Amino acid sequence: MREKWDAGLTVGFLCCILLALLIADFLEPDRLFSENENRLLEKKPELTRESLLSGEYMEAYEKYVTDQFVGRDNWIEIKTRSEIAMQRKEIGGVYLGEDDYLLEQHLPEEITDEMVEEKLTLLSNLVEKYHAKVMLAPTADNVLTDKLPPFAPYYDQKELLGKVKTAIGDDAYIDVASKLEEHSGEDIYYRTDHHWTSLGAYYGYEAWLEKTGKLSPVHFDPQNLIPVTEEFLGTLHSKINLPMREDRILYFPETELRPVNVTYDYNIQKESMYEESYLEGKNKYGFFLDDNHGFIEIETGYKNGRSLFVLKDSYANCVIPLLTVHYEKIYVVDLRYYNGRLAQLMDPYMSEDTDVLVLYNCIHFMKDFKYF
Amino acid sequence: MVFSSIVFLFRFLPVFMFLYFITYLFPKKAARWMRNIILFLGSLVFYAWGEPVYVLLMLFSTVSDYLHGRAIEKCKSRTAARCLLVSSICINLLVLGFFKYADFLIDTVNALAGTAIPLFRLGLPIGISFYTFQTMSYTIDVYRGKARVQHNILDFGVFVTLFPQLIAGPIVKYTDVENDLKDRKADIVQISYGCRRFVTGLAKKVLLANNIGMLWEEIAKMDFGSMSVLAAWMGITAFALQIFFDFSGYSDMAIGLGAILGFRFPENFNYPYISTSITEFWRRWHISLGSWFREYVYIPLGGNRKGLPRQLFNILVVWMLTGIWHGAGWNFLLWGLWFAFFLILEKAFLGRVLKALPGIFGWAYSIFVVLIGWVLFQVERPDAIFAYLRAMFGLGSGAWYDSRAIYLLLQYAAVIILAVFCSTPIMKMLSDALNSSGEGFAMALRRLLQKVVPALLLLLSIAYIVDASYNPFLYFRF
Repeated sequence: MREKWDAGLTVGFLCCILLALLIADFLEPDRLFSENENRLLEKKPELTRESLLSGEYMEAYEKYVTDQFVGRDNWIEIKTRSEIAMQRKEIGGVYLGEDDYLLEQHLPEEITDEMVEEKLTLLSNLVEKYHAKVMLAPTADNVLTDKLPPFAPYYDQKELLGKVKTAIGDDAYIDVASKLEEHSGEDIYYRTDHHWTSLGAYYGYEAWLEKTGKLSPVHFDPQNLIPVTEEFLGTLHSKINLPMREDRILYFPETELRPVNVTYDYNIQKESMYEESYLEGKNKYGFFLDDNHGFIEIETGYKNGRSLFVLKDSYANCVIPLLTVHYEKIYVVDLRYYNGRLAQLMDPYMSEDTDVLVLYNCIHFMKDFKYF
Repeated sequence: MVFSSIVFLFRFLPVFMFLYFITYLFPKKAARWMRNIILFLGSLVFYAWGEPVYVLLMLFSTVSDYLHGRAIEKCKSRTAARCLLVSSICINLLVLGFFKYADFLIDTVNALAGTAIPLFRLGLPIGISFYTFQTMSYTIDVYRGKARVQHNILDFGVFVTLFPQLIAGPIVKYTDVENDLKDRKADIVQISYGCRRFVTGLAKKVLLANNIGMLWEEIAKMDFGSMSVLAAWMGITAFALQIFFDFSGYSDMAIGLGAILGFRFPENFNYPYISTSITEFWRRWHISLGSWFREYVYIPLGGNRKGLPRQLFNILVVWMLTGIWHGAGWNFLLWGLWFAFFLILEKAFLGRVLKALPGIFGWAYSIFVVLIGWVLFQVERPDAIFAYLRAMFGLGSGAWYDSRAIYLLLQYAAVIILAVFCSTPIMKMLSDALNSSGEGFAMALRRLLQKVVPALLLLLSIAYIVDASYNPFLYFRF
């Protein structure tokens, strides 16, 4: 009798769990977007004869049910926690580093010699034609190697940078890597995001000054950096989604000494390079230059007749404010959003007083740097 | 549909179980019939979910073997019955041959003769190797007089389409479930056992197999020519654990679901990695396939009753078939032959040598043979197989170990240890010990664990299914 009673309890307990989840799942309304995963969730598929016979409907329905399952974020958290308990130091392509650092994983095999070859050709053509200067910042895993989990593999960007230097020549190459290495003990990268901090960007700017021999008309002092938010949880945190210490986003107030006019994509006009509205949302790094735009024109208050053309990724967004003190006009292109011929875009802006700067991090450069 | 999915656990299963168990409210006779109708239709839905067109093929097999069975019964002469048996087997093998092996044969002919015969490029119907073997067991046993002819096509349909073991086994012989088809009882104790067995299987698949499988995935991506010795051994060990927990997890889920419905399916795995010989390994690995080949191929060929040379030949035949059953590819044939070689050696003399030695030698030898076997099984392309084997024996350009291998070892050490632990009977011995002590603290602990552990495993498995970045179905080639 007791055996039966026990068996009944076991079955009942399991059925209750399934039933409770089932009911909760039906009561829970569908979500369009997952903030945590930063992606659109699958919608309920439409049932047609064709999709049913081909099996497409079933596949889509399975994705839909899984994506919309009740408490999805909580289940993912349970999984992440159990993986951490099993001593995993890497979750969803993110290393759980020392001192609360999250570092994006870039495996050596992700970048082949052919890819390097292709990018270097594109880059040297550009350097040759426009006398461009090139600043490729290494990502955090290459600079904060002491924060990586033991034996963690990473794509060696020093080797890449060596090749870049050979390909484009010493004159064009801005050695930001050594500069960052010197300061690797400071907060030059965010702990929860894949970008460098304003301090890291400042060291990039210093390397640029040394290479170009320019003298800054404004004295930037890292001591003066002002926090705009202390609650930044970046893209890397989104992949882990566990509570952790937030980052601070800082900016140089000196960049706002003179008025600027910023035009995004030819139509949106702003009087600041900083967009405070982003600080309320998840993507707080968008504070710098209004996140990502295909083409930005900046008119500064420094009327020296000089202009700068920047080909860049998001790493540049917090460097460009520092550069405004050197130029009257800055044009910024994000090649990911520009599909036309690059020369057609650039040449009208070119004059003797125009400099060209290529500014990426090494990984974005390898993945996104292309033009026609 | 696969068991380890939200659709199965939270759509199919609740609806099906509700309909199935509500029949218990009806009068006995009607209820039996209703249960089989629900089981049959449910199984069709289950199969059609993944194979909306090939479900017709399965129904064709069902009707064909049902009719053959009826016809064999009517036969006056043995010769006529034999003709019908041959016809049934031919139809089954033709269906299997066409969908599974036609392209493979054409490919081979093209490669050898330099021809360019176009391939059919049909997808392999999931589970076809499982259900054709099951229906063949029926007609063969009817012919042999070991099974009664099934007159009720619904009951026969239930046997063929039975969803718990439809897509990944175990291979249930008709005689295993003959009586259960008509009338089966599932009392609460058996249902509770079935639930626990199902959850255990789910956890084996989702928590162990998928996790250790990711290690194999990482290593399989490496360049075999330059990988380190440590990486090569770790990789194939990971695959060995993955396929064991995946496959035996599926079997556990099938046996568990069967128990809930009132069936008693045969066991399929019995801690194969503790074997001390290859002979023993094949008694512990995929038992239902081994016993199918034993009963319908090995013994009819004469088994061990016609002298040693004939027995060795029979072993060779059975293991070639076993190999090719796992997939249409030369590597699978090679994999079968690899085992046949050691089985023959063991029959000839090695078995006696191993018996005389301490068990650890036999175990090391068996694991070695099995691991090399998995390389043949999983790596597939001949050049890649050789490169992988060279890496295992330090003949590639890789070092003994490198930082990548050490990193992966550190990442997966806990999973590897857990999986190795679970592949031994230690856990079972512990729970048996707990079960046999009938009183006091041990008893209370047992009663508590019996309820809490399955619940926790279920919840954790759901978490891993919801965020399933890696949840493969390994048997699409079977």
